[in-house]
Amino acid sequence: MNANDAFLLTLGLPVVASPVIYLIGRIATRKYPKVDLARWLALLTLLVDGYFLFIVGTEFIQTRHELLIAVGAISLRLDGIALLLAVAVLALGTLVTLFSGPAIARDSGRETYFALLTAMIGTIIGLGAADDLFNLWVWFEAMALCSYVLVAFYRNEAAALEAGVKYLVQSALGTVLVLLAIGLVFANTGSLDLEEIRIAAQPSGLMLAAGALFIIGFGVKAALVPLHTWLPDAHSQAPSGISAMLSGVVIEAGLVAMLRALGALHLVTVSWGALLLGFAAVNMLVGNLMALRQTQVKRLLAYSSLSHMGYILLGVGAGAVLGSENSAAGGFFHILTHAMMKGLAFLAAGALLYSLHQALGNHDPLVVDDLNGASRKYPLTAFAFSVAVLGLGGLPPLAGFMSKWQIFVGGFQTGNAWMIALVVFAALNSVLSLGYYAPLVNRLYRRQPASIVEQGKPIPVLMSVPMVILSLGVVVLGLWPSLADWLTGPAAQSLLMLFGG
Amino acid sequence: MAEQLILLTVGLPWLGALLCWAAGDRHPRLQHTLAVSFSVAAGITALLLIPFGNERLLVTLPIGGAFGDFTFSPDGLGVFLAAIATVIGSLAVIFSVDYMRGEAQLGRYYAFVLFFIGAMVGLVLTTNLLLMFVFWEITALTSYALISFHNDDPKAVAGGIKALIITQFGGLGLLIGALVLFAHTGGYDILAVIANPGLLPAGALAWMAFGCLAAAAAKSAQFPFQTWLPDAMEAPTPISALIHAATMVNAGVYLLARFFPAFEGVAGWREAVMAVGMLSALLAAVMAIVATDLKRVLAYSTVSQLGYMVYAVGAGSVFAAQFHLLSHSVFKALLFLGAGAVIHSVGTRDMREMGGLGKKIPFVRLVFVIGALALTGLPVLNGFWSKELILEAGLEPGNPLWMLIVMLVVSGLTAFYTFRMVWLVFYGQPRAELHAHEAGTAMKVALAPLAIGTMTTWLLAGSFSRLLSESLPAQQIAAHSTGEILREVLTASVTWIALAAIGLGLAAWWQRDRLAGIGRAFSGLGKAASNSFGFEDVNRAVVMITQNSAEKLRETQTGMLSVNVAYLLAALIVVMTILALGVGLP
Repeated sequence: MNANDAFLLTLGLPVVASPVIYLIGRIATRKYPKVDLARWLALLTLLVDGYFLFIVGTEFIQTRHELLIAVGAISLRLDGIALLLAVAVLALGTLVTLFSGPAIARDSGRETYFALLTAMIGTIIGLGAADDLFNLWVWFEAMALCSYVLVAFYRNEAAALEAGVKYLVQSALGTVLVLLAIGLVFANTGSLDLEEIRIAAQPSGLMLAAGALFIIGFGVKAALVPLHTWLPDAHSQAPSGISAMLSGVVIEAGLVAMLRALGALHLVTVSWGALLLGFAAVNMLVGNLMALRQTQVKRLLAYSSLSHMGYILLGVGAGAVLGSENSAAGGFFHILTHAMMKGLAFLAAGALLYSLHQALGNHDPLVVDDLNGASRKYPLTAFAFSVAVLGLGGLPPLAGFMSKWQIFVGGFQTGNAWMIALVVFAALNSVLSLGYYAPLVNRLYRRQPASIVEQGKPIPVLMSVPMVILSLGVVVLGLWPSLADWLTGPAAQSLLMLFGG
Repeated sequence: MAEQLILLTVGLPWLGALLCWAAGDRHPRLQHTLAVSFSVAAGITALLLIPFGNERLLVTLPIGGAFGDFTFSPDGLGVFLAAIATVIGSLAVIFSVDYMRGEAQLGRYYAFVLFFIGAMVGLVLTTNLLLMFVFWEITALTSYALISFHNDDPKAVAGGIKALIITQFGGLGLLIGALVLFAHTGGYDILAVIANPGLLPAGALAWMAFGCLAAAAAKSAQFPFQTWLPDAMEAPTPISALIHAATMVNAGVYLLARFFPAFEGVAGWREAVMAVGMLSALLAAVMAIVATDLKRVLAYSTVSQLGYMVYAVGAGSVFAAQFHLLSHSVFKALLFLGAGAVIHSVGTRDMREMGGLGKKIPFVRLVFVIGALALTGLPVLNGFWSKELILEAGLEPGNPLWMLIVMLVVSGLTAFYTFRMVWLVFYGQPRAELHAHEAGTAMKVALAPLAIGTMTTWLLAGSFSRLLSESLPAQQIAAHSTGEILREVLTASVTWIALAAIGLGLAAWWQRDRLAGIGRAFSGLGKAASNSFGFEDVNRAVVMITQNSAEKLRETQTGMLSVNVAYLLAALIVVMTILALGVGLP
C-alpha cells in the first residue's frame, strides 16, 4: 500500500468510523444488551489504524522525507512531531479503549463514549499533521469538542458537569484567542499556510500580539500555569480512561499546536522559546506544590501533570530558543514516557476507583486513605501504580528517569547559565515530587488493609491487561532508553527546523 | 571471563530478586532458600573477580547518544567493594532467615535486598558516570523501601521518606557532576577525567568536585546531611547492617576515593573534604555518648567512622580510607547483627532497659565485644591498624594539625561511648525483667565469620595495597608488604598518642561516678547533642515551610469560573507586556 494512502486512511478511518460506531452501538444495545459492540468496534478501528500508521511510520523512518498529502484545499504534512504524536495517541488510546470496556460497563451512553474517543484520537492525529492554520484550528476544535463531552460523561453527577462546563468555557475562550491570532496573521501575511507564513512573517507589534494570543489560546489546553485551573476538576471527574487520555496526550496535543503556530512566527522574535522556559519553571513549581497537599488521588495526579508539562516545556523550549537537540529529543521522549506513566497511574487509580467505589454503586472519589494495604487484595494494580508513580518521580530504572535525564543533558550542553540554573531547578522539583509520590507507595504496601479495601470487588481482567503492558513499557524504556530514538530523534529535528529556519 | 563474572555478580542478585518476588509470600521457606542461594552465588562470583583486579580491563555495552556506553572496569577499588557488598550481603541474608522468620511480605523484603546488592556491585564496577548515578539512585530506592518495610509503622515510613529526600537532594550534586562531564567531553567516561583532569575547564571541574562532595556527604550521612541515618534505624536490623553500615553508606567514600586524582587539584576541595569528615566524626561521637537506643548509638558511630574515612581521603591517603572501609564494614556489620540478635532476643532497643545480658546470651556478648574492641581501635583487631593509618595520613605536610588533634580526641570519645554501650547492654545489673534467648543457628552462622574477619582482615594489608597500586595508576598508591605496613603503624608516634587517648576514654567510663561533676558541667552540650545540635529543627523547618506554602497556594484554585477567566486574561496581558519590552534570553 502506498504510504500516502495509508496516511490518509490513518487520519480518516477514526473520524469516519466514529459515527458508525455510535449508530451500531446504539442499535446493538437495544437488541443485544449483553454485548458491548461499540467497544469492540472501536478497538478494531484503532488496531486497523495502527496498521496503517505502521506503514506510514516505516516509510517516514526509512526515507526521512515528510509525507505530504492534499485533499482538496486541506494539506497535511507528516513530520517527526506528527509521527510521535500519532504513535502516542494510538498506543494509549487503544489501551484506554480496552480498559474502558469494563470500567463503564454499567453506565449509559457507552456508544457515545467509544465513538467520541475514537474521533478524538483521529482528530489528534490530524492536529499533529496540520499544515496550515485553519486546518490546525479545525482539528484542534474538533478534539476539544470530543473531550468536553467525554469529561462530562457522568452527566448525572453535579461535580462532573461542573468540571465539564468550566473546561468548556475556559477552552472556548482560548479558542477565541487563537482565532484572533489567526486573523492577525492572515491580515499581516495574506496566507494561512504555515510554510508561507514562515517566510512572510516580519517582526511587528501585531505579530507579537498574534504570538501572545497563540501562546495563551493554545496554552489553556496545554495546561500552562495560570491557565490550568480547569485541569484538576476535569481530570478527576472524567472517567479514568479519559483522565489518562487528557493527561497523556490531549494537553501534549495542545502544546504541539502551539509549537506549530509559534514556529511559523519564528522570524518575529527569538523570545517564544524563552517564554516557554518561563512557563516551564512556573508549571514545575506550582504543579508540585499543589499536588503535595492533595488527598484525592486523581486530583493529585492531575496536578502532577502540570509539573510534568513543565519538564516537557523545558525540553522543547530549550530546543526552540537554544537549538539544543538533546533537550528537544528529551522533551519529546518525556511526552512518550509521561503518556505511559501518567496513563498507567490513572488506569491503576481507575481500577481501584472501580473496585472500591463504582462497582459498589457509590460515586465517591478515590482518596489516599483508600490505598492503605491495597496491595494485599490487588497486588497487580498496586504494583502497576507503584511503577507509574516512582517512574514519575524520576527514579531509575524506570522510563521517567531517562527522559528527564535527556532533557537535563541537553540543557547543560547549551552552556547557558540561565538554562543550567533551570535544569538544577527542575532536578530539585523532581526531588520535591517524591515527597508526595513515595507516601502513596508506602500506603499501598501496608499489611493492614483499609476496611474499604476488604469490601472491594475484584478487578476485571481487561482492566489489568493494559496495566501490565504499560508497566512493562515503563521498565523496558527505563533500561533501554535508546529504543525510542527512532521516534524522538526525528521529532527533535523537526522542532529545530521549525524554530531554526 | 571477567565480563561474564561482572554480569553474573550484578545479574544473579537481580534474578534472585525477581524469583523471590515471584515465589509468593505463601512459600516463605522457598523465598529464604532462593535469597540465600543467590546472594551466596553472587558472593562467590565477586570473590572470583578479585584476581582480575590487577588487569586493566574494560567491559562495554554500547547504548550511545545522550546515555553514553555502559562500561565496567574490574579494578582494585571496584572488585574489593563488590566483594564486600556481596559477601556481607549474603551474611545479612543468612541472618535474615532467623531474624525475619514469620514476618509477612518476605517477597518484597528479599527482592529489595537482592536488588540492592546487584545495584551496589554495579555502582562500584562501572566507569560510566551516568550509569553510576543510575545505580546510586537504585540504592537510594531500595534503601527507602527497606527502611519503610513496616509500612504500618509511621516512624518507619517517615524515616524512609526522610532518607529518600535527603539522599536524593544531595545526589543532585552527582547529577550535576555527570551533566558537567557530558557537556564538556561528550561522554561519561570516569577514567578519562581521572587520568587527565585538564579535560575540563577549571570552573567546570570545581563544580563537579564540590557536587560530588555534596552527593558523597548525603549518601554517607556526613555533615550536614547526617540526620537521615539515625532515623533509618527503623529498618529491620539486617538492613541496618548491610545497607546503612557496610555498603551503601560507603558509596560516598567510594565516590571521593575514585575521583581523588581528578579533584585533588581543585582549590579548597581537599580542605573541604577533611572538614566535612572531621565535623561528622566529632558531632556524631558526641551524639553517640548521650544516645539511649542501641541502634542509634551504632548509627552515630557509623557516621563518625565514615568521617574518619572521608577525612583520610581529604588528607591524601586513599589507601588508608579504603583499608578502614574494609575493617569498618566487617566490624560494623558484626556489631549491627549482634545488636540485632540482642534486640530479637529481648524485644527492645532501649539500652536503659537492658543490663547484665552477657550471662544470658554469652555467644552474642563474645562477638559483640570483639566488634566493640575493633571499633575502639585497640591493637591486634582490624580497626586498630586501619584507624592508625588514617591518623598517620593526617600528619602529612599540608594537612592542618588541629584537625588531626580533633580526630585524636574523637578516638577517645569513641572508646568512651563504645564501652558505655557494651556495659549498658551486657554487664552490670539487669534493669528490667527481660526474657533473653541465645541467637539462632542462622544468626550464629552469620556472626561467626564476621567475628573471625574482624580479627584477621588486617593481615590482607599488603595484598590490598598491591591490588590498589597496580590497578589504579592515577591514584599513585604505593604498594607495601603487610610487614612494612604493620611496622610503620607500630613505630609511628601518633599511634601511641592515639592509644593514650583511647586509654583516657576507657578510664573516663570506668571512673564515671567520680567524674560525674564534669558530666554535669557538660550537660548543656549533652542536651544539644540529644537534639542533634539543631539539625532536626532545620529539617522540620524546611518541611513546614514547604507544606505551608503549598497550603497557601491552594487558595489560588478558587473553583470560581470568573476568577479562572481573569487569570487567563491577566496572563495574556503579562505575556504581551513581556514581548513588548523585548525580553530575549540573557
